[in-house]
Amino acid sequence: MGYIVVQGFLLSGLYALIAVGFTMIFSVGRVLNLAYGVYIMLGGYAYYFAAQVLGMPKTVAFLFAVLTGISFGVLTYLVLVKRLQHDPIAVEISTLILAVVMQSLVILVFSAAPKSMWPLIPGALHYEDLSITNNILLAMVVSWVVLGGLVLFVHKTHIGRAIRAVSMDRKGAIVSGIDPQRINLITWAISGALGAIAGVFLATYTQLTPDMWVAPLIIAVAVVIVGGIGSIIGSLVAAHIIGFMETITTTLITPELRGVFTMLLIITVLVAAPKGLFGKEDL
Amino acid sequence: MARAGLRKALAGWAGFGILMCLLPLVVSTGTLRIFIFANFLAMFAMSWDILSGRTGYISFGHPFLIGIAGYTTAMLTYHLDVSLMLSIPAAVIAAMLAGTLFFVPALRTRGTYFALVTLAFMELLYGLTQVVQPKLTGGTRGLSGLPAVVSGAVPNYYLSFLVMFVIGISLWLIVRTRIGTALSAIRMDEDAVKSTGLNTTKLKLFAFMVSAAVAGVAGALYVHYLGSIAPRGIFEVNFLFTILVAALLGGAETIIGPIIGAYFLTFLLEFLRPYIPGTGRYFIYGLVALVLYYYAPKGLYGILAALLGRLKPDRPGT
Repeated sequence: MGYIVVQGFLLSGLYALIAVGFTMIFSVGRVLNLAYGVYIMLGGYAYYFAAQVLGMPKTVAFLFAVLTGISFGVLTYLVLVKRLQHDPIAVEISTLILAVVMQSLVILVFSAAPKSMWPLIPGALHYEDLSITNNILLAMVVSWVVLGGLVLFVHKTHIGRAIRAVSMDRKGAIVSGIDPQRINLITWAISGALGAIAGVFLATYTQLTPDMWVAPLIIAVAVVIVGGIGSIIGSLVAAHIIGFMETITTTLITPELRGVFTMLLIITVLVAAPKGLFGKEDL
Repeated sequence: MARAGLRKALAGWAGFGILMCLLPLVVSTGTLRIFIFANFLAMFAMSWDILSGRTGYISFGHPFLIGIAGYTTAMLTYHLDVSLMLSIPAAVIAAMLAGTLFFVPALRTRGTYFALVTLAFMELLYGLTQVVQPKLTGGTRGLSGLPAVVSGAVPNYYLSFLVMFVIGISLWLIVRTRIGTALSAIRMDEDAVKSTGLNTTKLKLFAFMVSAAVAGVAGALYVHYLGSIAPRGIFEVNFLFTILVAALLGGAETIIGPIIGAYFLTFLLEFLRPYIPGTGRYFIYGLVALVLYYYAPKGLYGILAALLGRLKPDRPGT
């Protein structure tokens, strides 16, 4: 029981981080970035390459991963999405193709074999019969720090308010002198960074594989759908619903069924309440 | 198009059919096997096209329909020794029932959300086949040693080509009717179609059923051609990707486009085989798809049509 509570919170923090990076792009640009999972995968591989192949210090490797995520996010927007953004379906399809291209590139460079990552902080905490690895604890702390920082950034800074303005009313934002292209670019950079951070932790939590973008993408989609598009609170609540559901399924039933309940939840929510729990958007 | 245009196009279909029927006389068995895969991919891509290319309800879950059909016939023949004459029609019916399940979200959601639900359907089945009743589905390893409809490269080639050809020409004729036009109109503006008094629900259901039936026929035959089925091969993103890319690259909404796209992609993949091993080929393949999709959203069909239009300057190009 204690295990479920602790593990559930740890996993949910990570899921919230994954989902927020994904939902930001949607709420600002009104497009779904199906290549979002790639930032997660690239973050993981960049960290692996820097720390375990080149032998750089962990902090440098972590920064390298974040920079990789940012550059790839910016590139996706500039090269691919900017020209197609009036057509959401075209963006979905092209980012899906991009994701498969990047997966194949990673296979060509690193081979398809799964790699195991060293934990960022080795060891584990023990409390009575519970034991939590330091790594996953760090993942949760970083997730919450990043999420908290993001909320502050979005509410307190000028650029953050501009991001919110564009997501609320694009035309109104333009009239007030905000350049939506620039805001979009910033959003994609943030999204890339969030994805890469989540990727480093996800890879140390599970394994590093070239197809590790699919599951997090689906988690992100699930969180956003259940929580409602464009709602950060909704995403946090939904991340905990899904995180706990998966932890309970994994510990009490079987790990393989984990995704099944998540899918059932997505289908149910989409069919019964397409706006999600906290969504204002109507698509 | 005028009646003369129809006659010309039908002559084109006939010419294509005759040419492809003569193919086994000239090419090796190895090449023929590649053509068999191309034929199957063409069927899958056309099934996607009649639903997504036509109505704009983008399906990211086509492997779900194919998988339902494939598993139905695989389990019937493997466990119960049901004859193929019964199991394949049963698979098609199962795919169509699955298609109605697919249809439910289309009543409520559009665009992006619909694409995501279909993706969820695919992932759901991927999870279920591995865990629920592994004795029936074969679990992660799937089922193998399934009976073949016909054996040998040449008979299989004819079977796959003829089925593909019949499906192709039927779908092509369907989309030329007023139903096809109405379905296209749904993609452009569903509310406008509704306001003209047409029943969009029935129209969409029709597109879903046709698509599911084609996916069912193709999926069942494909599984028996391979002789095996496993969740990894069917519910993989790469498989979905190949279907989608074949349809888009060839030219969505045209039925002929997906056939062109399927042949092009299958041969591109084979051409790359000696240079890049394994799934790394998808890198080139995806890059080609991405560039073509970016610069020529109407696909190869659009490029060919533009070229043909330029050859005949007296007529405005189509």
